[in-house]
Amino acid sequence: MTYAADVLVIGGGIIGLSCGFYLSKRGKRVFVLDSGGFADGASGACDDMILFQSKKPGINLALTFESLELYKSLLTELDDDLGFANMGGMVLIENQQELEIMEEFVAQQRSYGLDVEVIDKRAMLKKQPFLSDHIIASTYSKMDSQVDPFSVMRGFERKGGSYGMKVFRRNGVVGIDRIGTGDYQVVTEDGSIYQAPIVVNAAGTWAGQIGEMVGATIPIKPKRGQIIVTERIPQIGDTNLWSAKYLVTKLRSDVVVDLNEDERSMGLSMAITRSSGDTYLIGSTREFVGFDKNTTIAGIRAIIKQTLTYLPKLRDVNFIRAMAGLRPSTPDGRMLLGEHAGIEGFFTAAGHEGDGIALAPITGKLLASMVCRDPVDHRLDELSPNRFANP
Amino acid sequence: MTDDKDKDKDMFICRCEEVTLREIEQAIDDGFVTVKDVKRVTRAGMGLCQGRTCSKTIARIIAQRTGKPLEEILPKSFRYPVRPEKMMAVENEEFDDAKNS
Repeated sequence: MTYAADVLVIGGGIIGLSCGFYLSKRGKRVFVLDSGGFADGASGACDDMILFQSKKPGINLALTFESLELYKSLLTELDDDLGFANMGGMVLIENQQELEIMEEFVAQQRSYGLDVEVIDKRAMLKKQPFLSDHIIASTYSKMDSQVDPFSVMRGFERKGGSYGMKVFRRNGVVGIDRIGTGDYQVVTEDGSIYQAPIVVNAAGTWAGQIGEMVGATIPIKPKRGQIIVTERIPQIGDTNLWSAKYLVTKLRSDVVVDLNEDERSMGLSMAITRSSGDTYLIGSTREFVGFDKNTTIAGIRAIIKQTLTYLPKLRDVNFIRAMAGLRPSTPDGRMLLGEHAGIEGFFTAAGHEGDGIALAPITGKLLASMVCRDPVDHRLDELSPNRFANP
Repeated sequence: MTDDKDKDKDMFICRCEEVTLREIEQAIDDGFVTVKDVKRVTRAGMGLCQGRTCSKTIARIIAQRTGKPLEEILPKSFRYPVRPEKMMAVENEEFDDAKNS
């Protein structure tokens, strides 16, 4: 069978569905093609954060502000609560050196317009009474928010469907042909051909494989993140929590943070967020292990051991599940968003690493704007996929 | 008066997350036709028992409604942990025999 559309989106994760939603809203006939089931990739094995505090001043932080505003309007537009919550977040500081680095970082973020501050131990314990005594201070931002990825994806699919968007699952793309400058012909596992003048590569961790089919260089590497899920428990503090360790290593490569061998080799740094299902999601590792998305006993144990050093009370809590997702990571920590030079009509929107949930709405909206040839937004030049074209 | 058949639809299929037959049938009709898909769009099977109780029932509902064979619908594996486990159990014990694929 041959099916014709205006735009083919390859990848039906939260990014692909957002692209499909915003394109169909602008009147395009869109097909979304996915090799797996609903949320089988990174979008279904992640935490749920719209996190500001982890971001350096720059394009990622600017886009997170815009994405949060879009999420607020999507609550009405998609007619769903989306599991949206605004609990705020705290980054836990364990020694004087971390405190100085975080104070400087917070000052930079504040000058960029982020509402964030460093609070003392007393104020910290007021918000988080169960924290271990060795934590000396924390940051606090009331802006950090969250959504339920599954609700957002279903919302995009349902509303996009009302504009004519169609999603085809469990039918992976095996080839992309193009005759001259005509339409792209995308061939799937079952032999069907999907045809359109525009292709959007939103295949996340697998975007490199899709790029190869048209000769595009996309240096996205899978970075495995393991996460555990607790049973439902009452709320243990006012906000979501992160450890400063990972941020400090990212900000200051000269500083050696106190990590054991497991934590260092797995890139482990604690994040604990309360989900809309009243469970806690606790992560996460950051491992380069190819496309292996199994959880490991060593990873789960390391997450638990580290978490209990911050919140000893959780020792008695059950965890009910462990999961791993492959975050699509890029060499410079920024996504790829835009059209490939010399491959007219082929766009990539991928490489969000751990920011896919936070940045999904703004990514889809900007991508749709590019496909519709709106005036060029030069802020986005630094996200161009062509920055990697000639390594 | 409430229609008896309609009342049946309010029966909980997933008791942990309180997901009704009506919600599950709606998901199937929207095109979510595996146990995993239904779990992710309705939360059925995401609770304390992790679908040990309801996933076979859900598989049969999908099979009845779509005519697909059960083996296409059921998940192919269960992940570690197979039952809820206290965090301290993993913190203290050395165990490497658990399978998780």
